[in-house]
Amino acid sequence: MTTSIHRAFSIGRIAAITGNTFTELTRLKIFYVVLLFALLLIGNSIFMAQFTFQQEFQVLKDIALGSMSILTSVLAVVATARLIPQDIEDRTIYTILAKPVARVEYLLGKLAGVLLLLAISVIIMSALFFVVLKVREQTVIHETLRQMRASPPEQMAEALGAVRASAFQANLFSGIAIIYVKASVLAALTLFVSTFATTTIFTTVVMVFVYFIGHLQSTARAYWLQTNGGGGITKFFLAFVALFFPDLQLFNLLDDIVAGTAIPPTLFAKTATLGFFYTGFYLLLAWSVFHRKEL
Amino acid sequence: MLLCSEASRSDMNEPAVAVTGVTKVFPIPFRKRSILAVRDLTLQVPPGQIYGLLGPNGSGKSTTLKIILGLVFPTRGKTEIFGRDSNLVESREAVGFLPENPYFYKYLTGRETLRFYGKLCGLRGARLKSRVEELLSLVGLTSAGERRLGGYSKGMLQRIGLAQALVQEPRLVVLDEPTAGVDPAGAREIRDLILDLKQRGITVLLSSHLLEQVQEICDRVGILANGVLVREGPLADLLAIENRTDVVFENASPALLGEIETLAAKSGARLLEHSRSQTSLERLFLEATRPSEDSKRQKPR
Repeated sequence: MTTSIHRAFSIGRIAAITGNTFTELTRLKIFYVVLLFALLLIGNSIFMAQFTFQQEFQVLKDIALGSMSILTSVLAVVATARLIPQDIEDRTIYTILAKPVARVEYLLGKLAGVLLLLAISVIIMSALFFVVLKVREQTVIHETLRQMRASPPEQMAEALGAVRASAFQANLFSGIAIIYVKASVLAALTLFVSTFATTTIFTTVVMVFVYFIGHLQSTARAYWLQTNGGGGITKFFLAFVALFFPDLQLFNLLDDIVAGTAIPPTLFAKTATLGFFYTGFYLLLAWSVFHRKEL
Repeated sequence: MLLCSEASRSDMNEPAVAVTGVTKVFPIPFRKRSILAVRDLTLQVPPGQIYGLLGPNGSGKSTTLKIILGLVFPTRGKTEIFGRDSNLVESREAVGFLPENPYFYKYLTGRETLRFYGKLCGLRGARLKSRVEELLSLVGLTSAGERRLGGYSKGMLQRIGLAQALVQEPRLVVLDEPTAGVDPAGAREIRDLILDLKQRGITVLLSSHLLEQVQEICDRVGILANGVLVREGPLADLLAIENRTDVVFENASPALLGEIETLAAKSGARLLEHSRSQTSLERLFLEATRPSEDSKRQKPR
């Protein structure tokens, strides 16, 4: 053995676990989710002919961003839920933690592997979406040019500008970034649940409940405060619920983006920061359970 | 080539493993009862030896190994690896571990598996590459290095497991039931590898309930029963029967044996038994199933 000084925290070790987790998930063919997205987009395009171009782009964005949001959320939960219970069941966790690997490095490596998978999935889905959007935009432009052959140039330029403006908007990138942040929050929360769950199914079922509670809690909170008033204890209870069940509705900017409403940079920054806070908080919770877990 | 470092030679007298007063109680959730897995265990594994931890199923062998490796935390007492508290992550720099019936990652090839574990131990680049090839050769899996572990036999999995345990050239190797579920030929290969580790100065701590194999290779043993260490010491001392001596002859005639018996009786000794020496069932099995030279030649290429 070489006499090297042990580093308490090593990016190299985390990167090794990240790479291995990513390889595991890709070889499990979990990327098929992306294929499903492509089929949805192609299927969606077939039914577009009957709409006006504004409606067509709106429906396309609605379906693409909505399905991207759901598929990345499902991917985040399904991919993360199996990682730790499977390692424990197969006893591979013993061989990893019997090496000079700190438990926090193991958790960080696993989460980073999932986040890498999510990032690549979101990039591929976004690329597919933008290609389909561009193709549809070009089709509409050709159609507009054909119909307006006899129109004055200013009128034609105005019409083409309207087509382009309703197809591409910078907001789409903000929307996609928030979809990724939301999936990261769900992955970190799933990792936390899986540190004390004994099976993948338990973790997945818990996360399905959390997903629904996360989406419904803002409505429930508004109703509660309206009917019961906003006393100190009530507010504390609601804050506690919001901490352990992330308010996923806050990450839902898609309706505004699809409708073409501008998303203020401050709202985007606040939402992204909240997402990072939740991700870090759940990672901390996962470590607090895992660092003394009997294996 | 596997070599122990200069540092390991300098502290040759320090025990490889020191377990002091360890008790482990597993509480049962939602019940008032608990399980006492290990009770007041104290033992030391001297460096450079093969130490066998024996005991029936459920006697606390695996729990003891896990406590030594910091995977399970003792309720009382402490464990050290070469003088370092085994709860510290850095104590595991000196340790390689092969758990009982490990699966590893089925989607990785043998070579990728060793690369992964090598990276966890800080190996990189050319050094990692050469170490991986060296280990594949050591465990006889060079030709299977590009195959995924999903297609490996039980014996091959144990050998790749042993290779990953050795990846950072540890001074201590911990093996939990290393031959469980492996056929006799595979078990013998693993046994030879363990003896080879000892030759290279590596301490081996293994648990097993296969007594014949332990007897063949261990220098020292500890026997656990219901979480308590009931016997401990050098194997030769534990097995010796104080007032008996074995003498083995070849080609001894009945007349010679008769003379020896008479001579022994004159000096006050009593011949308790004489019988034909026997081979072990394991050796008989291996000889009977070993492919003959003829059959090797006839194998289609």
